[in-house]
Amino acid sequence: MMALNGTPAADTPLLEVRTLSVAYGRKAVALNAVNLTVPKAGVVALLGANGAGKTTLIRTVSGLIRLHNGAITGGEVLLEGKSIAGLSADRIVRLGMGQVPEGRLVFKNLTVEENLQVGGAILPRATLAERLDAVYDLFPRLAERKDQAAGLMSGGEQQMLALGRALAASPRVLLIDELSLGLAPLIVGAIYQQLKKIREHFGTALLIVEQNARLALGICDYAYVLERGEIVLAGPAELVAASERMHESYLGARAERQAAAG
Amino acid sequence: MSIFIEQFLQALTSGIQLGCIYGLMCVGLAFIFGIMGVINFAQADFMMVGMYLVLAIVGSLLASSFLGPVAPFLAAFLIAPLMFAIGYLLHRWLIVRTTGLRIANQIEAHQAQLILTLGVALILQNGALILLGSAPASIISPLSYSAWEIPLLFDDFSALFINKARTYDAIICVAVTLALYWLIRSTRVGKSLRASADNPTAAIYMGIDVDRAHRIAFGLGTAIAGVAGGLIVLYYPVQPLVGFDFLIIMYAGVVLGGLGSLIGAFWGGFVIALVQQLATLVLPLQLQNATVFIVFLLVLLLRPQGFFGRHVERA
Repeated sequence: MMALNGTPAADTPLLEVRTLSVAYGRKAVALNAVNLTVPKAGVVALLGANGAGKTTLIRTVSGLIRLHNGAITGGEVLLEGKSIAGLSADRIVRLGMGQVPEGRLVFKNLTVEENLQVGGAILPRATLAERLDAVYDLFPRLAERKDQAAGLMSGGEQQMLALGRALAASPRVLLIDELSLGLAPLIVGAIYQQLKKIREHFGTALLIVEQNARLALGICDYAYVLERGEIVLAGPAELVAASERMHESYLGARAERQAAAG
Repeated sequence: MSIFIEQFLQALTSGIQLGCIYGLMCVGLAFIFGIMGVINFAQADFMMVGMYLVLAIVGSLLASSFLGPVAPFLAAFLIAPLMFAIGYLLHRWLIVRTTGLRIANQIEAHQAQLILTLGVALILQNGALILLGSAPASIISPLSYSAWEIPLLFDDFSALFINKARTYDAIICVAVTLALYWLIRSTRVGKSLRASADNPTAAIYMGIDVDRAHRIAFGLGTAIAGVAGGLIVLYYPVQPLVGFDFLIIMYAGVVLGGLGSLIGAFWGGFVIALVQQLATLVLPLQLQNATVFIVFLLVLLLRPQGFFGRHVERA
């Protein structure tokens, strides 16, 4: 791994992945000794192309890897210093890990408000009402539509709902998987602005998994680049964005150069 | 003419009374299907179990002497927790192996579910045959004989008889259906059940134990079958294969109402009972069930999604 200057945090990090290795079945090694740290209230991006292992990492951290016939072959996943590897997915959520899954996966037949209530169902009743108000403050659009069935909303609105639903549980860290997938660039831009607000409003740490490196680097403090199951680059966002390797593979410098040469 | 009106009103009355019980039967089946996507072939045999349990409770001298004429109705409620436990454990030990997120291939899973619930049905039927024999049994509450008599205005001789036991049955069935509807719409448990039905993967991401939600749903569906059986045993003799009589009605009712809709299922069962009872006015008794299927086929032809079927989804 090439480490650039700067470490995320000195005290116990919120989420820590230590030399994690994961394999599917007996054959394919999907992750190899991956290290990754999300500090308190930090925004961390996990970048990489299709098939680099991003989804495997997310599944492992969320406790869903066994469901996909994968297994941890080495290393640890720590949430606030406590090991969560091997816990069931719903337990991990209860420990403070919020999920904004790829494809949004809102409950289509439930209303917007019911979606948020289910999201916050792990909270005591009294705190939930307050929390929902805070979510509505952040996403006024959801308040306007609260009695509508979620399946009838536009893709962008559903993505907002997926964010709001995860936030309803007052998570300490939010895992956001491929938020930009299948959405118009303008809408993606607007939602990324909301992500900034999430940190300001709630102090929630974010782990953003993105194929679109430029987007994610625009808002994160720290970034990791995953390639063929290994972290090949890690560092503060500006350094990662400026690095040669990043330009070559992800930010399209090569294509620009080729275009210039041609 | 007045004779016909009297008969019509009498058939309508029994149609409404029976309709509420059929409605509740269908609600139980639709509930399990709606939450878990499992078509439960054993549902009608859970009713049979409920019928025998109520028979056993009421048959014991103790219960009848303490509770008097309301014993059968109370018994139907007493068995609900027991039936819930049976369904809950059955799911935990058996059904869970064919459902849930771990099952990768949905089509194969459906085949396994069908065969498994069919197997449970056969074990219940034949187990009951071995243990209890094939002779029909029934219980009678003093309320089964008594009726409210409502004189009809057009002459002095006609009157409408409203059987008390059947009316209490009907009221309880409506109440149970409404209670279930409230549970599923407004409570936390209900919302997590609906969320698990809507998108199991996302439900896990929200911290919901989907397998547990399914266990609760299967338990509740079983309990409802038990209660419906416990109520109908007051005017329908029970024998181990009695489930067949109800199975077809349940499926027709659920499809009629629109798969997955609770209130729809209730109306589906209700309509079937009405058709069945009103048909006796013009057709021989043996053709009662034929009319049910004619209506059923008409609905499938004209409105295949059922009365209440709908899909909330944006393309």
